[in-house]
Amino acid sequence: MTIRKAPGKSRSKSTTVKTTFTRKTSISTKIEADAAIVWALLTNGSDYTRWNSTITSFEGDIEKGQRIKLKTTLDPKRTFKLKVLSMLSDKEMKWSSGAAPFFSGLRTYTLEHQGSATIFSMSEKIGGLMFPMAASSIPSFDESFEKFAEDLKTEAEIIQKQK
Amino acid sequence: MATKTELNQEFENCKGQLKSYLLRLTTNVEDAEDIVQETYLKASTNIDSFRGNSTLKTWLFSIGSNLAKDLLRSKKRWPENVTDICKEAAMNNRQFFGEMMQIRSTSEQGNFEIKEHISFCLTCVTKSLPLEQHLVLLLKEVYQFKAREIAEIIDNTEAMVKYYLHSARSKMIEIFDHRCALINKGGVCHQCTELNGIFNPKQNASEELAKIQMVRDAEKKSKEELFELRTEIMRSLDPFESEAAELQLHHLKHNHRVMNEYLKKK
Repeated sequence: MTIRKAPGKSRSKSTTVKTTFTRKTSISTKIEADAAIVWALLTNGSDYTRWNSTITSFEGDIEKGQRIKLKTTLDPKRTFKLKVLSMLSDKEMKWSSGAAPFFSGLRTYTLEHQGSATIFSMSEKIGGLMFPMAASSIPSFDESFEKFAEDLKTEAEIIQKQK
Repeated sequence: MATKTELNQEFENCKGQLKSYLLRLTTNVEDAEDIVQETYLKASTNIDSFRGNSTLKTWLFSIGSNLAKDLLRSKKRWPENVTDICKEAAMNNRQFFGEMMQIRSTSEQGNFEIKEHISFCLTCVTKSLPLEQHLVLLLKEVYQFKAREIAEIIDNTEAMVKYYLHSARSKMIEIFDHRCALINKGGVCHQCTELNGIFNPKQNASEELAKIQMVRDAEKKSKEELFELRTEIMRSLDPFESEAAELQLHHLKHNHRVMNEYLKKK
């Protein structure tokens, strides 16, 4: 197993843990805003492209059981098709992709209240039987995760300061 | 708790604002008037349930907003380029221009003023926002409710009000920055000056434009500040009482009809 901290300056750093059949990238950052604001940003898909520089297009509604399609800067030509697995308001949301046991992904967002601030965490675990063959062609999520978290923090804190 | 007399007084005080708010939401005079009536009837019937946790004005706006949401929820949003679509329809509609000219020459509320059209344009373009964002933007920027009061009106949290407001503002700022030639030389829409040329052919358009602060400050203020000035124009005008009210309401009726037909086809 290898653990790698992505390079970066002041913004929060992501961590990637690799095993033979899986890869998990995680990031956590403190946001000086109400969890409800962070949740609103995370669950209004049609608004993603406005504040999130890693998402270039978004289709669908972020509601439990719904399917969504998005394009990211990670691989601009590819459309990621995901399913919203679970939503626990202001706390946790999970998206899944792929087909287990061959290749699947699980994206988890969690929010934790800390006084007037919110600890935002995001992770994505990809893996399966086919993973070893595809691993070298899957780009790193580190930079994209860091940008996502940074954009979310910026946007939520602007909204929080609004009168 | 409040008495019926207090309700009647407050209703009289805010009826005009409520009606203009509902017009800007529904873009239809009859709908706005019906909802105002229904708001009063509901408030009057349920006055005993008013606990005084909010002001009577907030409560009345809450009832009116809920009724408007019931009406609008199933309707599609207007596209961002609503003014282009409606302009094309108007160009192919001689009768519409004839009626507008008739109002211009005979009505006491038939003046064409650029600032009135700026407000009219904002009314149309805000219809492209998701419903909750549309409500929050109008309640805050035009009717100047506090975030806490808006949360009561739309029955949501203050955090969500802030989110809706921010995303609505951001979207409107971008749309007008790209479209409006009054604030951006590269803007594609010149409709207010074009219409001014039709309705006020003897007027010097640049002199008229110079009277509008948003236009005067276009090059020195930020996009955000220019949007503030735009909403200030809307705030200063009552769409039922202004000097251009009849002309603008007729124009709004046209756009409402054109949009209904356009969205039905889509």
